[in-house]
Amino acid sequence: MSEPSRDDAPTPGLAAYLGTLLVLALLALVLTPVLWAVLSAFKSRADIFAGDVWPRRWSLENFDDLLAKTLYLRWMLNSLVVALASTALGLLFCSLGGYAFAKFDFPGKTVMFWIVIASVSIPAFTTVIPLFGWLARLGLLDTYIVLILPFAANAFGIFLMRQYAVAIPTELLDAGRIDGAGEFRLYWSVVLPLLRPALGTVGVLIFIASWNSYIWPLVMMRTDEMLTLPVGVATLKGDQLPEYGMLMAASVLSSVPIIIAFLIMQRQFIAGLTQGAVK
Amino acid sequence: MSTTTAMKTGRAAFGPRLRRGLVPYLFLAPFFLTFIAFWLGPIIASLVYSFTDWRGFASPRFIGLGNYTKLFADPRFWVALKNTLFYGLAYVTILNVSALALALCLDSAWLRFKNAVKVGFFLPVTISLVVAAVIFEMIFAKGVGLLNIVQKGLGLGEIDWLGDPRFAIWAIIILRVWRALGYYAVIYFAGLQGIPNDVKEAARLDGCSPWQVTRYVTLPLLKPVILFGVIMSTIWALELFDEPWVLTKGGPADSTLTIVIYLYQAGFQYVELGYAAAVSYVLTLMIVAIAIVQKLLSGREVA
Repeated sequence: MSEPSRDDAPTPGLAAYLGTLLVLALLALVLTPVLWAVLSAFKSRADIFAGDVWPRRWSLENFDDLLAKTLYLRWMLNSLVVALASTALGLLFCSLGGYAFAKFDFPGKTVMFWIVIASVSIPAFTTVIPLFGWLARLGLLDTYIVLILPFAANAFGIFLMRQYAVAIPTELLDAGRIDGAGEFRLYWSVVLPLLRPALGTVGVLIFIASWNSYIWPLVMMRTDEMLTLPVGVATLKGDQLPEYGMLMAASVLSSVPIIIAFLIMQRQFIAGLTQGAVK
Repeated sequence: MSTTTAMKTGRAAFGPRLRRGLVPYLFLAPFFLTFIAFWLGPIIASLVYSFTDWRGFASPRFIGLGNYTKLFADPRFWVALKNTLFYGLAYVTILNVSALALALCLDSAWLRFKNAVKVGFFLPVTISLVVAAVIFEMIFAKGVGLLNIVQKGLGLGEIDWLGDPRFAIWAIIILRVWRALGYYAVIYFAGLQGIPNDVKEAARLDGCSPWQVTRYVTLPLLKPVILFGVIMSTIWALELFDEPWVLTKGGPADSTLTIVIYLYQAGFQYVELGYAAAVSYVLTLMIVAIAIVQKLLSGREVA
């Protein structure tokens, strides 16, 4: 995808550098809040209220407080369990379903597909109200399963899987059938490996949707031990003067793993988030 | 020999097709059962409950349009609607203009460190909304926030960004644009990459300046993508909840009260579930209407 003609275009050297400089300055501005959060996380209480830019002494007291006085590690564990389970289950559900939509013909197919696609534009909180009533009556509030299942049935996930599965050559599947492979075996050992790029994209999409979700666990989780990271961190803010240092320590600890994963898997992240982040 | 052939053709003609007849339903079952339980069922139930006085435990009683008339008579709902629309208009305009500008920079010949710039601007997208809101507490907080420190340094007065009804909604707008900019820039950048270079080249050879190429060739060709970005960000804007709930709880003086905060309070603080369902359906109708407008417009635009 090289575009040689662009290099021939007259690019005035000075203007190019100035333009680059301007964009980099803007980038610095965009990254400032993140940097500020990191700096603040390492400041003592006194340093924060003194309003200095750099910590006078790099202190770990905020992190100590966070781990000792709050259920932070428990929330982290909850978020990880829920996000990983949603992702694993969602990849299974969406790849199976997407493959069925792409490579099989069956009565009701168009209607089913249309319903899934139409549901994407319905705002998620429409479901929260009846589900809260039902799940409360069933005694299912405050359980992991309630945080996992809705994210596993990701309408965008099944849509993307179908897009990728359509490209799988039907002859390949028929060849497998003639060799006597069962349908599930065919899915598991032929289709799934071919869907690998889609698995990465949809995996990121589901993981991030679960990891970031707020209103859903806020409504469904009732005890401190069952909160997820976003809900837990938000409770730390409290109603009075917040412990800013501890809040920043919590923010930094919560974001760093995702930022590192993002820097390693830039392509899957950008694809997963831009192709399916409608919800 | 003939039996084998018959069996083979028989299997080819009927066996696989029969098997396929059941297999796709089995493959779709896990997704669909979950989807019906957690999405489709509740979406339909919500509509039904919106015509009842459901409060969770007692059985719901049908009250016709009661919730809807109560809703439209509540001045607080109109405040929420007005705030949401004001926020949406400012957010969608600022976000899409700056994302488009950034995408044009990424697509240009002169920009260096393109990938680093793209990744850098995209980084806030990976931070969860709630954590982003908490981080911006440290920017906007009175006295200790970075913005106030800078304002003091420049000799400007302090502003209580989150405590002053005039500024609180702008704090939310800044935060949301910050977090979404990279996302929309990447979408617009992908759209720009899809425009064939020879079209732009032809315009350039015809004597168009770079600005004219952008204005009269690139942007018109990008129209479907821009439409998508504007519609998508509008829908997101209407669903605003996380950031104002974390930062201001809808205050001060209801200045950041959004429709979803209103809905949340009705449903989970006053436990008027039927009423909250009606609120959710008013918002759903607004969003579906926008989605339909998008369908109509893009149907005409996309070649």
